[in-house]
Amino acid sequence: MEREVLLEVKDLDVSFGEKKKRYDAVKKVNFKIYKGETFGLVGESGSGKTTIGRAIMRIIPTAGGEILYKGEKINGKISKELDHKVIREIQMIFQDPQASLNERAKVDYIISEGLMNFEKNLSEEERLKRVDHALSEVGLLPEFASRFPHEFSGGQRQRIGIARALIMNPEFIIADEPISALDVSVRAQVLNLLSDMQKKHQITYLFIAHDLSVMRFITDRIAVIHKGEIVEMAETEELVTNPIHPYTRALLSAIPMPDPRHERSKKLLVYDPDMHDYKNSPPSWKELAPEHYVLANDKEAQEWVK
Amino acid sequence: MAEKMLTVENLEIKFDLRGKKLNAIRGISLDLYKGEILAIVGESGSGKSVFTKSFMGLLEQNGKVTDGTIMYYGCDDGVPVELTSLKKEKEWYKIRGHEIAMIMQDPMTSLNPLKTIGAQIMEAVLLHQHLNRAEAKAKTLEYLKDVGIQDPERRFEQYPHEFSGGMRQRVVIAIAIACNPQILICDEPTTALDVTIQAQILDLIKELRHKYKLSVILITHDLGVVANIADRVAVMYAGDIVEIGTSEDIFYDPRHPYTWALLSSLPQIGVKGENLFSIPGTPPNLFTEVKGDAFAPRNPKALKIDFIERPPYFEVSPTHKARTWLLDPRAPKVDPPEVVEKIRNGGLI
Ligand SMILES: Nc1ncnc2c1ncn2[C@@H]1O[C@H](COP(=O)(O)OP(=O)(O)OP(=O)(O)O)[C@@H](O)[C@H]1O
Ligand SMILES: Nc1ncnc2c1ncn2[C@@H]1O[C@H](COP(=O)(O)OP(=O)(O)OP(=O)(O)O)[C@@H](O)[C@H]1O
Ligand SMILES: [Mg+2]
Ligand SMILES: [Mg+2]
Repeated sequence: MEREVLLEVKDLDVSFGEKKKRYDAVKKVNFKIYKGETFGLVGESGSGKTTIGRAIMRIIPTAGGEILYKGEKINGKISKELDHKVIREIQMIFQDPQASLNERAKVDYIISEGLMNFEKNLSEEERLKRVDHALSEVGLLPEFASRFPHEFSGGQRQRIGIARALIMNPEFIIADEPISALDVSVRAQVLNLLSDMQKKHQITYLFIAHDLSVMRFITDRIAVIHKGEIVEMAETEELVTNPIHPYTRALLSAIPMPDPRHERSKKLLVYDPDMHDYKNSPPSWKELAPEHYVLANDKEAQEWVK
Repeated sequence: MAEKMLTVENLEIKFDLRGKKLNAIRGISLDLYKGEILAIVGESGSGKSVFTKSFMGLLEQNGKVTDGTIMYYGCDDGVPVELTSLKKEKEWYKIRGHEIAMIMQDPMTSLNPLKTIGAQIMEAVLLHQHLNRAEAKAKTLEYLKDVGIQDPERRFEQYPHEFSGGMRQRVVIAIAIACNPQILICDEPTTALDVTIQAQILDLIKELRHKYKLSVILITHDLGVVANIADRVAVMYAGDIVEIGTSEDIFYDPRHPYTWALLSSLPQIGVKGENLFSIPGTPPNLFTEVKGDAFAPRNPKALKIDFIERPPYFEVSPTHKARTWLLDPRAPKVDPPEVVEKIRNGGLI
């Protein structure tokens, strides 16, 4: 069965700064996200995960490549209608809840701001009803609507950001570290909520997180990114049980487990990018197991799958 | 017995919210020892940040310590300081940074967007260490390297917005270390970091602890991180420490029903396609006086007395105590959930 592709990223480049100061944050990145799936992006801090999310959201310009949403190109210059549609259908839950919430606005306003831009005729009663509903969905009390962001704990603020995205009924959500500031119980609650929303409304997620134990639980496929390049991509269980690229292996070995004896005795694998000898034999994208892609040169491809 | 650095006794903190009182911290006592790493875990909103901010006089204006004391024993002259009696900002300046430093939960708000990263770290170095500018700059580059930022010379000149979330977090850690403190409070220091960098930062904290005999308080939601680094663990719920013990005590022999629920919510024990366990109900409304055991309404196995009287601490061992009526000799026997057995047998790995 051919699955419907909701979002496709083709040879995406994003860079910051000009000329000599130019920094390439995202380099020739390719992936497809199918409708209704949860696609995970993991990788080192500073590897370009948020940048990819922001490029899809049209918050920052792309330097090369294409981003296709439902088959239509959405990066670069696009029509007003398409822009409108993208803003409505794609929502992002931002990584830094503090910086992304307007400190002077009450929670009530923050959550419904986006909604009011689209439903100009929304009655006050209906608006409050939806805010209440969104708050309770993320496990916050309705009373919180009249408070200001700084009056909340970190995890509570994070949930305000989630409520703000959910209230728009989006089709596609880019969730940038949506749960890392949450305690395990609220985290479980939010993960359950995200997956219930997916079952109910067929929402598709691009899920950015560091915590591979959470990723393993929630995602269908995972791409591992290192310094702006995707180095490995596969179905989640395949990736976790059969990691091939040395960076992925290092990531997996570093996951802390809730078991003090195990933690004290564990051995970390360290990834040193200098191990690659790419001067004369540059790497390319290779399918080393079914639907399991790795960035490697010919020699590595042979050695790694032995 | 190890040397005490800080003693908190019966601390109460209330916030005034437009005329209504919120009971954020409800009578906490705690000792912090020299050179130890104490982790604080617990429900979001349970007061972890507020509790530790009070050690530095950093409560927001509408927050007040209404009862209890905090004593600090780490000053060079050996004279104990009652932190709860400090009033003026000037008195706090002697404590902040130099004695107790804190890495805040939101890295973006603790960095100045208008100053370069290098200038911000160097400022702390100059303020707290007796070095000239050239030495301070060299030291700053060293700290950047220490926290895993590559190409420190180029990064030195950049502004916070040019850094990723995780890199900003590491800068904040570098600033705290540059103050040369006795106690380092880390509020969610690694949440924004990937696991390999996280492992480096945890190693760095352990190293600093040995090198400088630093006492560390680490607030985190990641129980894996706790298992990796903590000597002792305090579990907070609704403004109270409900259980405290060594890492082994808490992971292999937890006693409080909230600690049980916390461990049961771990994603590591989840089954794909099924919902994860999550604690039913919501945390208590802190605007009203909490009666009995604050966790009782969410605990399906709560006893009658849990709703009536607040439990005292019961000692499980000299290192381990918990505030639950289940430890009263008269209480019926209630078994911990299966997950506890599983963790004890290494079944999560
Ligand atoms: N506005 C900007 N100007 C200059 N450089 C930037 C800007 N935003 C990001 N960068 C750089 O781009 C790179 C990728 O940043 P990005 O925020 O995408 O990382 P990330 O993968 O989300 O990391 P983290 O896990 O730490 O959040 C980093 O090296 C960062 O310094
Ligand atoms: N300035 C304030 N005014 C009113 N209430 C506040 C203020 N700051 C914090 N609170 C409340 O105090 C309680 C404790 O907050 P705190 O930030 O300590 O939680 P936390 O345990 O650190 O949570 P998290 O894990 O989400 O960061 C919460 O109920 C919060 O809403
Ligand atoms: Mg990011
Ligand atoms: Mg906090």
